[in-house]
Amino acid sequence: MTLRTGIFRVLLVVTAIATFAFLLAPIAALLLQVPVRDLPGLLRETAVTSALLVSLKTNVIANLIILVVGTPAAYLLALGRFRGRPALLTLLELPLVLPPAVAGIALLTAFGAFGLFGSALTNAGIFLPFTQAAVVIAVTFVAGPYYVRAAVSAFAALDRNQLDAARDLGASEGTVFRRIALPLAADGLRAGWALAFARGIGEFGATLLFAGSVARITETLPLAVYAQLDVNLDSAVAVGILLLAISGGVLLVAKLPPLWSPTGSSTPVGGW
Amino acid sequence: MPPFRRSCIFALALLAVALAPGIASATTIYAASSLSKVVPTIAPGNRASFAGSDTLAFQIEQGAPADVFLSAAPLYAERLHAKGLCDTPVVFALNTLTFVTPASNPANITRVQQLDRPGGYRLAVGGKNVPLGIYTRTLLGKLGLGRALQKNTVSQYQKATDVGSTIALGSAVAGFIYTTDWYANTSRLRAIPVPASAQPLIRYEACVVRRSGADTAGAKTVISRLLSLRGRQTLANAHFGLPPKT
Repeated sequence: MTLRTGIFRVLLVVTAIATFAFLLAPIAALLLQVPVRDLPGLLRETAVTSALLVSLKTNVIANLIILVVGTPAAYLLALGRFRGRPALLTLLELPLVLPPAVAGIALLTAFGAFGLFGSALTNAGIFLPFTQAAVVIAVTFVAGPYYVRAAVSAFAALDRNQLDAARDLGASEGTVFRRIALPLAADGLRAGWALAFARGIGEFGATLLFAGSVARITETLPLAVYAQLDVNLDSAVAVGILLLAISGGVLLVAKLPPLWSPTGSSTPVGGW
Repeated sequence: MPPFRRSCIFALALLAVALAPGIASATTIYAASSLSKVVPTIAPGNRASFAGSDTLAFQIEQGAPADVFLSAAPLYAERLHAKGLCDTPVVFALNTLTFVTPASNPANITRVQQLDRPGGYRLAVGGKNVPLGIYTRTLLGKLGLGRALQKNTVSQYQKATDVGSTIALGSAVAGFIYTTDWYANTSRLRAIPVPASAQPLIRYEACVVRRSGADTAGAKTVISRLLSLRGRQTLANAHFGLPPKT
């Protein structure tokens, strides 16, 4: 081993340690802030339980929409051959780069009372701000691209020969999608969904601006953390730990099979 | 020099620059968000962080590098003072609340008493623990409208400026904001008169933060500028009230 490769290896290890330490130290500090036995009491406050219910309800609906609409759309984007496909894929990334507060303003300028579709919605008797529908829209808008992006990569990585083989054997396009593409892309889809879920359940800026913070209606867990911060730091930390547990749990469950596979390649998410 | 080593040295140099403590000797001002228009005029060339006074007080308690704290309510400055985290606070400005609707007034609100009707309006107000929210509850209490926040659909914000934008964008049909914030947005917000007798006493307090390494001299300069004739003129131009001259 030459000196230079030696230095390079040391550099790799040092950066890996730095990455882990930097990313995990704040999470460890959060967990150490409040004694575990105090957690149940802190989480039993009514403000916390109602925020938990709002978060769960809106996120379940948003994730269903993301999965049901996003999966077929990603399949088409990944395997379809049509003009402007790369441009479409890039456009899909735009919501990802919007700061959450800007996403909230964007949603307001589209669907708010004075927004682009505001008067049309009002005429139809629909008013979105301060409703749970608005929370669902904010979460779907912010988290959806994470899933679609990962789903496109998962479908694009499929072996087209396998899909063609099924077609040659007489399988319909729907059957190819359902019986071949979906199972083969499942790991990637699960990993992408876990990331989208975690992003959605932690959504703050777009929700606050677009849906407001109405107790028991639009006040989600992240909004409750912010509101609790100055009243009771321990309770805010407890809500933070609860959010961490929910997202962490989903991430683990979604990635479990690859984590246990011998190669241990926890499916990387992202990259077209 | 081999390219690899050269890039390593370059990377280390970059890191050193990034990690070096701020070389510029600007004073760090933590100010209530309602002061965001006046602070850059009164104390130019400094770093200013604007947020709800409660958030700022919390950050200072957690060791944030503030040199001077400008609070929208005596409560927070005095809480820091009691904990030995800042010097004796001084009052430097006064404010009032304004009851506002969007300029188009979609719900046709003409009197604050209309909030007493059950099931009525979508309102935007300050959170119950931030100064704006506390003042709003005081004002409603004085008007005998203490139950108004239960009777309407109420969205609560930790940042005073979020209340105004929510109303200006039409998500809420009415709400209470600082009078100074209304003057900054008169084209999009319509003021509805509120009896003067219901106004809470809103005092802004400044204090020099005590922590090791604080720019105490810079902080004192910022406060003396706030209290100076020019500072008072700037505050008055932004429609703040002024405390009696000391």
